[in-house]
Amino acid sequence: MIYGDHTTGVIVQGATGNQGAFHINLMNQYARETGGRGVVAGVTPGKGGQTVHGVPVYNSVREAMAEHDATTSVLFVPGFAAGDSIMEGASAGLELVVAITEGIPVHDTMRSLAFARMEGCTVIGPNCPGTLSPGELKLGIMPPHLAMPGNVGIISRSGTLTYEVINELTRAGIGQSTVVGIGGDPVIGQTFTEVLERFESDPQTKAVVLIGEVGGNLEEEGARSTNLPLVSYIAGISAPPEKRMGHAGAIIEGGEGDAVSKIARLSRLGIPVAGKPSDIPELVRELL
Amino acid sequence: MKLLEFEAKEIFSKNGIPIPDGVVIRSPDELRRLLDGFTDEVVVKSQVDVGGRGKAGGIIITRKADAVEAATHLFSFPIKGLIPKAILVEEKLPIEHEYYVSITIDRTTRQPMILFAETGGVDIEETARTRPDALRRAGFSPLLSDVPGFLMRQILGDAPKELGPVINNLYKAFCASDALLAEINPLVTTSRGVFAADAKLIVDDNALARQGITANRDLTPREREAEENGFSYVELDGSIGVIGNGAGLTMSTLDLIAHYNGKAANFLDVGGGAGRERVMKAVRLVAGMPDVKVIVVNLLGGITRCDEVARGIIDAGIDQLVITRLAGTNEEEGRALLAKNGYQMLDTMEDVVKEAVKEAAA
Repeated sequence: MIYGDHTTGVIVQGATGNQGAFHINLMNQYARETGGRGVVAGVTPGKGGQTVHGVPVYNSVREAMAEHDATTSVLFVPGFAAGDSIMEGASAGLELVVAITEGIPVHDTMRSLAFARMEGCTVIGPNCPGTLSPGELKLGIMPPHLAMPGNVGIISRSGTLTYEVINELTRAGIGQSTVVGIGGDPVIGQTFTEVLERFESDPQTKAVVLIGEVGGNLEEEGARSTNLPLVSYIAGISAPPEKRMGHAGAIIEGGEGDAVSKIARLSRLGIPVAGKPSDIPELVRELL
Repeated sequence: MKLLEFEAKEIFSKNGIPIPDGVVIRSPDELRRLLDGFTDEVVVKSQVDVGGRGKAGGIIITRKADAVEAATHLFSFPIKGLIPKAILVEEKLPIEHEYYVSITIDRTTRQPMILFAETGGVDIEETARTRPDALRRAGFSPLLSDVPGFLMRQILGDAPKELGPVINNLYKAFCASDALLAEINPLVTTSRGVFAADAKLIVDDNALARQGITANRDLTPREREAEENGFSYVELDGSIGVIGNGAGLTMSTLDLIAHYNGKAANFLDVGGGAGRERVMKAVRLVAGMPDVKVIVVNLLGGITRCDEVARGIIDAGIDQLVITRLAGTNEEEGRALLAKNGYQMLDTMEDVVKEAVKEAAA
C-alpha cells in the first residue's frame, strides 16, 4: 500500500470519455468488493454537472476537490491534452496523479513532470496501467481478479506482461503487496528507484520483482539504489536496434539499453534474472 | 521520425541558426540553373537517411564546374541500399574549427541534456570512449525557455563565446520541433562566423500530428499499414509470426521463441480490447509476410473477449497454422469456437511457443 489504501479518495480526470467512464465503473466495483472509497468525483472541462456511473463530474480538479475529500487522480485524458491535465491536478493540490494515457508528446511529459515536482505532486506514468494493492486499492486499469494480497511488490514498465507475472505468482501461491506499472515511455514520473524507495519503507513488502525491457538504464539504476531482495525479468532479448518495440521508451539507441547487457549488469549486481516469466515465482520463493 | 539534413537545416535556420548557402535539387538539371549563385567550390550531399554517409561516398566536395556531374552520380548512387530523392548542394565553408553539439532527453533526470565536444566532425561515440573529458554534458529544467548562462559557460569552457547563441537557438529548435534529438556535427567556426555544417533532427512520433507531419517515413509499407490500423508493428526476419496484446507481453513472446531456438518474423501488438475485426486484420497482415510459416497469437487481459478473438482468427481464413493462447473473458467459448474450426488453443505462452517452434522447424 505504498500509494494509498481503502480510505483513499480518487478523482478521475477525463471522466466522461469512453476509457474514463469504463474504468470509473471497474475501479468502483473493486472498491465495493474491498470496502474502499473508490472514485468520488470525475473531471471533464465543460461537462460539469453530469454524472458517470453515479459519480458527479466537475469542470476542474479544483472544483472537485472543494466538494470531495480526494488526494489522488487517475488520468484518462487524450495524449494532446494530458500534459496540461497533469499540471492542473498538481496545481490543485493533488498528492498523486496516475497518468494512464499513452501517446503524450515527450516534451509535454517532461514539462508537466517538472511542474508537478515543484508543486509537490507525485506522478505515476504516463502510458501505464496504474497501481493495484490487492484487497485495498486499484488506481488504473489492472485486472484485479488475477492478484492476491501478499508481501511481494512488483514494478513494471509494461501492462499485460505484468498481468502475466501476477498470474504466475498467484498460481504459485505468492501474494502481492502493491503492483506498480510505471509506464513504457522514455520519460516517466515514478522510476524504479523512486518506487523502490517507497517499498523500502513499506512493512508489508519483503521482496520486489522488477519487470523491465529494452531502452534506457532505469532498471539498473533502481537495482543499485535499494537493499530490498530483488528478482528481475527483462523483455526484448530479440529486439533489433533503433526499432521502437511498441513502447516509445522500448528502443535500443546508440548501442545503449539492449536486453543482453542490461541483464548482464543486473546479474553483476547479484540480482537473479529470470529467463522467462514462468521462472519468476521460483526465484521469488528463494528470496522469501 | 528522422528528418533529412535539408529539412532539419530549414528548421534550424528558422530558429536563428546560421546554415551554409545552399539549394535542394530533385534532378541534376535543376542544378544547372542554380549554380550561378555559388562561388568556386561546392559540397554535394546525398539526402538519404543513413549514418556514415560521408565515409560511404555520399558527400562530394568539388569545383563548381563539376557539380552537375557529381549530383548526377549521387542520384543513382545507393548508400546502404537507399537512393536519394533529393540532393543538397552547398557553398564550401572556409572552416577554422569543428565542434560537436547535441541536445537529447535524459531519461534519468527527465531533463533536456546538452552534449558538447571541442572536436566535431568525427565519430562522437569514439571520442566519448577514448577521450571522455572532451565531451561535456549539462542538463537543466525543461521549464526554462533558455539555456542558463552559467551552464553555457560550463559547456563551452575555452571554446569561442559566439557558439553560445547557436546552442541556445538549437535548444529553441529542439523544443519547437518536439525533437528527441537535435544535433549539429560539425558546428564550425569560419572567418565569416559560426555555421551548422550538418544537421540532424529526430521528431517525437507522438508529436508528428502537431508538427504537421502526416506520414511517418521511417516505416516500411507493411509497417505503415499496421500503423493505420493502430497496431505497433516491427518486421524481423524469422518464420514465426507473432501477435500479442501489450508491448511487454509481445516482446516477451518473441524472447520465448528465441529461448526455444525459434526465429520470430515480427512484433505485432494489437493494443487493448482487440475485437473480431482488428484481430482478423492483424492475422492477415502477419500472414502476408513471405516467410511466415506459423503464427502465434498470445492475448491476455480483462477487456479482450476471447470469443471475439477466436472469430477474428477464423474470419482471417489464412493458409498458415495459427496457434493461440487466450486468457480472460469468455475463454471457454473462444476455445470451443477455435476447436470446432480446427485451430489449436493452448493454456500457456510456453505451450504455444514450443508448439510453434516445432511446427516452424518441420
